[in-house]
Amino acid sequence: MSTTPAPACDGTRVTAHVDGVLPAEARADMEAHLAGCAACREQEAFERGLRERMRALPAPVVPAGLEDRVRRRIRHRPAPAAVRWLPLAAAVALAVIWGRGAAPFVAWELARDHSHCFAMEHLPAEVWTSDTGEIAEWYRQRGTDLPLIPASAGGVELVGGRYCPLLDRKVAHLYYAGEKRHLSLYVVPGPARFGSRFVTRQRGESVRLVHTGGMTLALVGEDAETVDAFHRALSMSRADASSLASPPLTGAP
Amino acid sequence: MNAQKTPASRDRIAARPQIGNKGRRDRDSPEGCPAVGLTREERFEAEALPHLRALYGTAYRMTRNAHDAEDLVQETYLRAFRAFDHYQPGTNIRAWLFTILHRARTDSFRRQSRSPQTVELTGEGPAVPPAQDALAAGGEDIVRAMEALPEVFRSAVVLRDMEDFTYDEIARILEVPVGTVMSRIHRGRALLRAALARRPA
Repeated sequence: MSTTPAPACDGTRVTAHVDGVLPAEARADMEAHLAGCAACREQEAFERGLRERMRALPAPVVPAGLEDRVRRRIRHRPAPAAVRWLPLAAAVALAVIWGRGAAPFVAWELARDHSHCFAMEHLPAEVWTSDTGEIAEWYRQRGTDLPLIPASAGGVELVGGRYCPLLDRKVAHLYYAGEKRHLSLYVVPGPARFGSRFVTRQRGESVRLVHTGGMTLALVGEDAETVDAFHRALSMSRADASSLASPPLTGAP
Repeated sequence: MNAQKTPASRDRIAARPQIGNKGRRDRDSPEGCPAVGLTREERFEAEALPHLRALYGTAYRMTRNAHDAEDLVQETYLRAFRAFDHYQPGTNIRAWLFTILHRARTDSFRRQSRSPQTVELTGEGPAVPPAQDALAAGGEDIVRAMEALPEVFRSAVVLRDMEDFTYDEIARILEVPVGTVMSRIHRGRALLRAALARRPA
């Protein structure tokens, strides 16, 4: 490290001085420079004050229950049934955001959330199952009715799910994964006013919004073919269900 | 420095919880441990969980929203728990946890192949709510200026000025040379100063 006097201003060294990391022999030179240089003195004063101001900021509030959630994941315990829902007024206000339609905006948020979740080394699912009945029950207990969903399609299979905040609404997020591919299925209660179908690419993800049966489903995946195959399987399971639900039309035209 | 390896990390299914080591007692393990009788989970929780508030604070300053911050903190703890056998008791667990936090954050960017900067959408969509701590009197300008700072500078300044780590510790946490730490802190503070000068309190 240089020990030559600093005749010229060197802001980085002023910073080092503020943080007390200048070597002893350079400190005197810095003091001498500061005595004669108003600009560097101002920098020094700002940086010292900044430290005080930053430490005076209140710490961000740790979300309630985070410590328990961490413990649970370390010990692999299932999550409790309680889910915090937005107050009704907030939910109504947000329904307007979803309803008003800026579909590309919604799609962008979905793509962001999809890559956020799957970019993690530990997929942040709260329920782990490949069983469609089991996951439907998990969501039903929390107030969300899932449509009929395939256990696997397009090379991905169901692995679990949780709720994710999307545009400040809690949305059911189901995770599907396969060999190097992932797919998200979002189930948004209520209609969205951007037509019955919307297909786009956002942030490198293929996003498909399907409005069906009073709810909006969103499919997100890196691979458009996977999304396509999954969409077909989804439509088929719904078609199967409706044919099962209605009595056989013997003798009908 | 803990050279944490992440085997199976590319396989997201590996994220499934592993059943089987639940409640394993250290007294059963070959190497004894000072806290005999505590499970690995209990030792980890006792050592690591007291730092949750600090980790969350930094995670929140990095991600700028509560949901991502919580996910980042959970990811950090899961990684740390997995690597806990490599942690040497009595060494700086706080710096170790922050190193993992930072690595989790950069890995996440790498996998998403996105820059840390969030694209701002204007006109459409909901207004971004003010950061919760911006509501505190007086802190508003500085919080805004911080949030506008590119993340490389923001994390260096946060680690120094809020978490009070030394340059050496920050260098280990961010996995860059000390000289880089110094210049990032300098640059970060200079950018904050410029931003605050434009918007006097």
